[in-house]
Amino acid sequence: MAATAKKKPKQSPSGQTVIEGNSVTKVFGETVTALEGADFNIRSGEFISLVGPSGCGKSTLLRLVAGLIEKTSGDLTVNDEEVTKPRTDIGMMFQKAVLLDWRTAIENVLLPSEIQHRITQDDKQKAMASLDLVGLKGFEFHFPKQLSGGMQQRVALARLIQTGANIMLMDEPFGALDEFTRERLNVELMRIVGELKATTLFVTHNIQEAIYLADRVLVMTPRPGRIAKIIDVNFERPRDISIQTSREFNIIVEEVRDTLGSH
Amino acid sequence: MKLLSFLISFAKYSLSFIFVLGLWEVYARYGGLNELFLPRPSKIGDKLYNLFFKFQIIEQGTIYWHFFATLAQMSIGFCYGIVIGNSLAVLAAFNETFRRYIAPYAVVFNVTPGIAVLPLIIAWFGFGWESKIALATLVCFFPPFINTLTGLLKKNDEAIELFQTIGATQSQYFWKQQLPNALPEIFAGLKLAITTALLGTIVAQFGSATEGVGILMQRFAFRLDMAGSFASLVTMAIMGLLVFTIAELLDRRIVFWRDTKGLERVSKKKQRKLSTDG
Ligand SMILES: Nc1ncnc2c1ncn2[C@@H]1O[C@H](COP(=O)(O)OP(=O)(O)O)[C@@H](O)[C@H]1O
Ligand SMILES: [Mg+2]
Repeated sequence: MAATAKKKPKQSPSGQTVIEGNSVTKVFGETVTALEGADFNIRSGEFISLVGPSGCGKSTLLRLVAGLIEKTSGDLTVNDEEVTKPRTDIGMMFQKAVLLDWRTAIENVLLPSEIQHRITQDDKQKAMASLDLVGLKGFEFHFPKQLSGGMQQRVALARLIQTGANIMLMDEPFGALDEFTRERLNVELMRIVGELKATTLFVTHNIQEAIYLADRVLVMTPRPGRIAKIIDVNFERPRDISIQTSREFNIIVEEVRDTLGSH
Repeated sequence: MKLLSFLISFAKYSLSFIFVLGLWEVYARYGGLNELFLPRPSKIGDKLYNLFFKFQIIEQGTIYWHFFATLAQMSIGFCYGIVIGNSLAVLAAFNETFRRYIAPYAVVFNVTPGIAVLPLIIAWFGFGWESKIALATLVCFFPPFINTLTGLLKKNDEAIELFQTIGATQSQYFWKQQLPNALPEIFAGLKLAITTALLGTIVAQFGSATEGVGILMQRFAFRLDMAGSFASLVTMAIMGLLVFTIAELLDRRIVFWRDTKGLERVSKKKQRKLSTDG
């Protein structure tokens, strides 16, 4: 896999295409056009933010890529294969942690392995490492209800890492958390996906967050859901949280705002 | 500390209980109560002592035999009831057509007093154990049915999507998510079933029987042996308490994630297990 995302040049990345959409359209029922004519091309190791007001089809786009719902028309491929059903090289994270209350943190992290095969000692070691990576060392045997909301999302992230998927879809994963926790988790998420060199699609309705994390931002507008603009974000990685106050950063913020406002 | 506060509250409850009994005893002794209506506590105690420790024989058996017979009939009826109730619930949860067709029967069944069909049950099953077991089954299968169904149908779209994305099969979803997720409701159903099964058994014994605490109660009452009747009542209460406590303990053990104490207990246990495993 090409590792262009970590310290890529200021020009556009040159990794190979992983997810490709051409005129992807999704109509619910007869009348609700959730996504219309979406064209996008996501390269290996890229971090893509999807930003837009609620109802503009962000979750729909993600769920199409995940193979959870079927497109109405257009072409959608992952690694050059038409998406028809969920696949194990794609992992997903939701706004809710969706943990099983009767399983400890580590047992929750082991769930994807357990679905695929009998748990081995290797899987357990890997789960320990995943939990360590998300900063939950020492909490392996806590149950979800014994953990805070932020820690629950960390478990969900560790579970996603455990799947070994190199495409990660995240639907407002930190949207329900307070601002401080969210900021901390964003920083850690960036470090982790950088380490894993995973291709990431990250949905948010927070413009700053979207830009701070992303190599490119897909700006979406509602009624019907459309990709209005794709904006490159060329800050060096690793990024410091302080870039959010820089002039360049705020120029991009303005550009996103303008795109959203003009629709 | 915990033990001490437990002992104190235990003492408080015991004292208030003894106080009420004492008041009752004194009031009855000075002629305030008709003994044919409400016997004195000391007489009930005396009767219980005779039944339990002097092995007094009533209707060809000691109280232990009657106790055991009732418990056995109840347990068998309870087992049939939960098997039938839970099987129907699983069928209804997975088959919408079945669910739709069974719904009106369920409603009618639920509002019909099951106990009232005892004469029919006796006509079908006779005077032996079968009729007791059958009535217990009949009155106890509904709570597990409706509770288990509710538990299995709990809406959980996020979990379904999660399981889809990690490539789980339908049956993996059922065993790892849907069923454990329904356990609190399933146990609520079992706890209701265990007390209704006891009720069904005893009422069936009233109809006709040669053994059981129900028949004890009836014989004593017909003879106007009020102390004996109340002693039977106490025995039934003990039995109810016994089976309900067992169900409650099982519930706490299996559905441990409902309260913080259970979570802490299991969490510590798993941690210990790991450290001893090496
Ligand atoms: N399963 C569905 N059935 C019908 N309409 C849906 C469904 N899912 C989403 N929609 C509609 O599609 C539009 C886009 O939804 P969504 O992708 O969830 O938006 P976002 O995630 O950006 O808030 C909304 O108008 C929503 O009501
Ligand atoms: Mg959404």
